[in-house]
Amino acid sequence: METVSGPADAGRSAPSDDPRVRLEEELTVFASVPPFPPRTERENEFYTLGDGEMLINMGPQHPSTHGVLRVVLKLEGEKVVDLDPVLGYLHRGVEKLCENADYHQTIAYMDPLEYVSSLFCEWPAVMAYEKLHDVTVPRRAEYIRVLSSELLRIASHALFMGWMALDLGGLTPILWSFIERDEIVDMLSALTGQRMLFNYFRIGGVNGDLNHDFLSRLGDWMSRATAQHQANINLLNENEIFVRRMRGLGIIDREAALRMCATGPNLRATGVPFDVRRAHPYSVFPELEFDIPTRQEGDCLARYLVRLDEIKQSVRIIDQCLNEMPDGPVMAKLPRLIRPRPGRAWAAVEGPRGEYGVYAISDGTDQPFRLRIHDPSFIHLQMVGLMMPGHLLADTMAVMASLDPIMGGVDK
Amino acid sequence: MDTSLRRRLEARLGEHLVAPVAGRGDETEIRIAAGSVAAVLSTLHDDPDLRFRVLADLAGVDTGAHFQVVYHLWSDGSPDWLRVIVEPLARDDPRAPSATFLWKGAEWMEREAYDMFGIVFEGNRDLRRIYMPPDYTSFPLRKDFHLPDDASRSPAAGVRHMERPHAPADATVAARTRRSVGS
Repeated sequence: METVSGPADAGRSAPSDDPRVRLEEELTVFASVPPFPPRTERENEFYTLGDGEMLINMGPQHPSTHGVLRVVLKLEGEKVVDLDPVLGYLHRGVEKLCENADYHQTIAYMDPLEYVSSLFCEWPAVMAYEKLHDVTVPRRAEYIRVLSSELLRIASHALFMGWMALDLGGLTPILWSFIERDEIVDMLSALTGQRMLFNYFRIGGVNGDLNHDFLSRLGDWMSRATAQHQANINLLNENEIFVRRMRGLGIIDREAALRMCATGPNLRATGVPFDVRRAHPYSVFPELEFDIPTRQEGDCLARYLVRLDEIKQSVRIIDQCLNEMPDGPVMAKLPRLIRPRPGRAWAAVEGPRGEYGVYAISDGTDQPFRLRIHDPSFIHLQMVGLMMPGHLLADTMAVMASLDPIMGGVDK
Repeated sequence: MDTSLRRRLEARLGEHLVAPVAGRGDETEIRIAAGSVAAVLSTLHDDPDLRFRVLADLAGVDTGAHFQVVYHLWSDGSPDWLRVIVEPLARDDPRAPSATFLWKGAEWMEREAYDMFGIVFEGNRDLRRIYMPPDYTSFPLRKDFHLPDDASRSPAAGVRHMERPHAPADATVAARTRRSVGS
């Protein structure tokens, strides 16, 4: 057994006996740097190498880590024995920033967390503030929220399809899925004025009503959405290389997934029909008809197929929203600066990656006292450590892509 | 608030609750002491009448006076979210039992709470910083964390952060002096 010397040992070696090395002072500028903390139990286990094992860093600038993530891999030959994700390269301290911004300003901080599906980060925040301030949201605003966020769910899942295939080495699907995503993003930019970071939801409603540009683009897209989705499905689902590679890879069973706090498609791929839209209904979802697709296998292919089925359900929801959209205002009447009563509120929504939640504490001022942001990518990333041991190094990317983490949300 | 859930909670956890079961809207809230975390969470997770199988969130909170650990749980037996508040954790040595024996996925959330508040979760076998660098010494989300003070000890010493609410009274004097020193 050989122990890798960590940073804890660096700079603390005994004075050298070598006469050619003359040290006037043992300590230099680094004396002011506090020592590294002692290693934890898990770190000791991870950084102790057995015979033939080695450590390799993947990232932080690795294209298939979907952002800036460093993964320390413990390898035996080409087989992954263990891994240790190192986070924090994208940490912006959003929770601290939000404590110093007023309630309306914090919504803008939510967007860059999940830059692929930013509406899903805004939604729990505004829901929590509405709970704190007892705001009733107009029904039309709720329908618009559902409509726009389901569109974004399709865009996010389409992008997932492309990424998934790209990480396995296929280039065509990402080009196809970007066509689909770009159409939706253009549509939403006609609605919100932004392409990615929409900043569209407001406390008590949404920023603007549906406009002609958006609706004409949406109608045009809806007329061929199903056909285009089917084409995307045919492209990958009938590709034998893709399917064989994904089947049986990165298996997690339902009990383990629940214990890992997994939510969203990653949990539903193990057979648990947990969807916040049905489990704890919010907005107008109780009035809408849709199914919760589940799979039993819990492998990469199941996670991929669950997302494909969700796209169909989202198209169904959009169709119902357009049919049942009521008339009326899209914003509740609120002062420009709100001071909710002191209290606590938790709100969660179902996003394309799982459950997004916000726990807001108000102390009666116009700024949140504490804002806790719960992001599913953060939770799902730690499942990689459970799935990877025993698989090959090249499968790390496939497993990680199948969990669909977004590093902006992981690092907050 | 779900009254049937409140009755079940009072029956099962009566002796552990340090405050009456509260709630508003679709949330039910209980408060417990740090000593009974393991017993309460196991009961909530395993009791056939409660079945809180989904840990929706784990958060650290600094109330200004002491710390809290807040769990949000979901069960198929109730339409409410259940919020479990563990308090008070002493400010100079905040310690709480880990929830990783029930939810392995709580490990990273506890690491985050440790990183941001310094709350030590006993039983978490990987309790180290997760966002901040390992040699970092402060706990950023504590209410007594003032960024300018900490920045003075960091490699970026002297950078005035946007968070500082007011410029110091002698800001213009300092700027002029610096310019003259530079030239």
